[in-house]
Amino acid sequence: MLARVANNLFWMGRYIERSEHIARYMNVNYFSSLDAPNARSQDRQFVLRSMLFMVGDPVHDDSTVLEEEKVLYKIGLNPEFPFSIINNVKYARENANSARDLISTELYESINKFYHFVLNYPVETFVKNGLYDFTVNVAEMTAILRGKIRGTLLHDSVYAIILMGVNIERATQIIRIINTKYNDALEAQGSYGDKFSNSFEWTTLLKCAESYDMMRRLYKKTPTSISTLEFLILNPNCPRSVMNSLNQVHKHIKQLDQSTKYNKNSTAFLVGKVRSEYEFKHIEEIEGNIQAFIDQILKSLTEISQKMDKEFFNY
Amino acid sequence: MGKIENRIFSSYERNPILYDEIYDKNGDIKNVYQKLFDLYGGHSIRDYVKLNTKAKSSFFNQGITFQVYDEKESQEKIFPFDLFPRIIDQDEWDVIERGAIQRSKALNLFLWDVYHDKKIIKDGVVPMELISSSANYLDQMIGIDPPGGIYNHISGTDVIKHNDGKYYVLEDNIRCPSGVSYVICNRTALKRALFGVFNHYRTYSVTNYAENLLDLLETTKPKGVDTPNCVVITPGMYNSAFYEHSYLAKTMGVELVEGRDLFVENDFVYMKTIGGPLKVDIIYRRIDDAFIDPLEFRPDSALGVPGLFAAYKKGNVTLANAPGTGVADDKAVYTYMPQIIKYYLDEEPILNNVHTYHCSRPDELKYVLEHIPELVIKPVDEAGGYGISIGNRLTKEEIETIKKQVKENPRKYVAQPIMSLSVHPTYIDDSESFEQRHVDLRTFTVLGKDKEFVLKGGLTRVALKKGNLIVNSSQGGGSKDTWVLKE
Repeated sequence: MLARVANNLFWMGRYIERSEHIARYMNVNYFSSLDAPNARSQDRQFVLRSMLFMVGDPVHDDSTVLEEEKVLYKIGLNPEFPFSIINNVKYARENANSARDLISTELYESINKFYHFVLNYPVETFVKNGLYDFTVNVAEMTAILRGKIRGTLLHDSVYAIILMGVNIERATQIIRIINTKYNDALEAQGSYGDKFSNSFEWTTLLKCAESYDMMRRLYKKTPTSISTLEFLILNPNCPRSVMNSLNQVHKHIKQLDQSTKYNKNSTAFLVGKVRSEYEFKHIEEIEGNIQAFIDQILKSLTEISQKMDKEFFNY
Repeated sequence: MGKIENRIFSSYERNPILYDEIYDKNGDIKNVYQKLFDLYGGHSIRDYVKLNTKAKSSFFNQGITFQVYDEKESQEKIFPFDLFPRIIDQDEWDVIERGAIQRSKALNLFLWDVYHDKKIIKDGVVPMELISSSANYLDQMIGIDPPGGIYNHISGTDVIKHNDGKYYVLEDNIRCPSGVSYVICNRTALKRALFGVFNHYRTYSVTNYAENLLDLLETTKPKGVDTPNCVVITPGMYNSAFYEHSYLAKTMGVELVEGRDLFVENDFVYMKTIGGPLKVDIIYRRIDDAFIDPLEFRPDSALGVPGLFAAYKKGNVTLANAPGTGVADDKAVYTYMPQIIKYYLDEEPILNNVHTYHCSRPDELKYVLEHIPELVIKPVDEAGGYGISIGNRLTKEEIETIKKQVKENPRKYVAQPIMSLSVHPTYIDDSESFEQRHVDLRTFTVLGKDKEFVLKGGLTRVALKKGNLIVNSSQGGGSKDTWVLKE
């Protein structure tokens, strides 16, 4: 496979995954906040700020009053805003276009349909009453794309590259969401005696990661900070957990790099190292200093991405 | 007339002057179309409106689109597709196929000659100016032996049926003829929309193009290569034909590369893969001559590969088509095709040539200037239907302008009698009915070492504007599925 095309496929995977996380984050936060148990979590300003924080455009000035429609438009459909869903989908399709000869017709057709859906979604409807419809459709279409990736591609290096992109992005987005909700929980504590450790925000966090139901099944208790983080970071069976993503990345990097002896400068070596670090971590180590953990894992993920760039995409 | 009530064609206006592909002179449906005519007549026009919308969205979702740049920003458009197929029976097809091969072979021999001994000129069959004044003649190609002895691996021969019922060649395209992916997409779309009709005809498949193309390209591999590594090179995803490039790469199962993915070292070509450099032996290039190598041709080209031509000269890589083929699909060379075929193959041309007046010859120039309303004036070196003037459509002022242009630069123009392209019933969106529209046919011929292949089918292009004779997609043309019948 061409190095340039591999790079495009890697980013196609990332953009598909990213658009889903943003859509789901908007959806869950907006709708679960409507009847949240405390005033802080119900506050529109609070929710809008949380969304902007998550996509990497935080509002630092507390006195700024945000307009709901403008914020929704910016994150959803504003073509000028680099992190908007519409741009993510555009980039995903552009990357797919350049690798059209390598991916299946079925996968391409689905990406193309997805693109036309987002591109043609009426802005007025979206900001006034289309948020639910739009975000649910985006999440569903990305699920279809993952299905087509798995079900219609040859499971070779093309597949491995795409899934590396998907999983690195998933881990990154889950960490970003954890980071945002961690901050929200910090902010929301105190009001109506809500404590940080059993804040309503943990439930929202789980829902943002589509992991709430399964978490309940496993723990059978109201989510707390420690159980939520344990589930979303360390549980290898939770499909959205950081651990699971790292395992996937590890599996696929080995598909690309089949050397039996580890080269300590290779991506595979780095991935293995990061993965084993988290495999043998326990939640108490993380819970003591969540912020440091978040910074560390984001750094590791960036390093992996950079290493891949050097090893495979450098042309 | 058809025995059953035919709702679709009851309002079909048939101009008796035009040659209609489905009606004979007496206004009866031709035998090969009878079944199709009855089957289509069984539907209502509402059904066609629906089917047409479906076919359109199928193309759109598949991303079978081309970019149009004329307007403010580039837009994605689908290539208009018509639901009524064109049928060519075995006997007619046989003539087209043999004729296309004959022309492609003759052109290949002509190219060899003009880049080697120039015997045809020495023997006085064609004039020296034909080559010396051609912008597409590449001095760099003189004396080079292309691998396998093939210059024009892929030829697109455009034929029309005149109102005498005979096929004429309008032009030979042997640089980067495009459109073959639409042949296959049209078939797919028609099958999706009206699969039932295929049960009544024995039609040749068109999906075997890519495999034959790869097989034949591989016969022209460089010396000393065992299993050649073939790639398709594209100018990039913003090129209007990018869909076709990716389609061909995908169906041949080879990599689609851009210039920046390749590099040349010690006169060998390599592509940059995730596992390091990999040698490339055959390049099906969809980039024009001028852009393939900035060291040899246009230095500002960002699309090409520095050093590619040097590697080609050494015989280390095959380029398909070879550089410099453009000299032979020049419209001025076209006019000598009967002589060229005779000279190299000692055969009579199987397909007719349209008589052509060379504005470079004083007596013919005189005739052209006096008869512009009866002629089509064409620049010799433009592709895509640009710059063509049709005499009987011009105003007096326009005629004067053309005269002036021709007089100023006679070598640049040729003129031909206005050919009457045959017409075919075509579904027209605006009127929601079938109407007569002019059609032509682009055939695709592949030459390999001692082997050749003609795609049984081809791209029937339709001029969608009423009365229009120019069928190119850039000029608002559409296309039809084209069936070549077995037996």
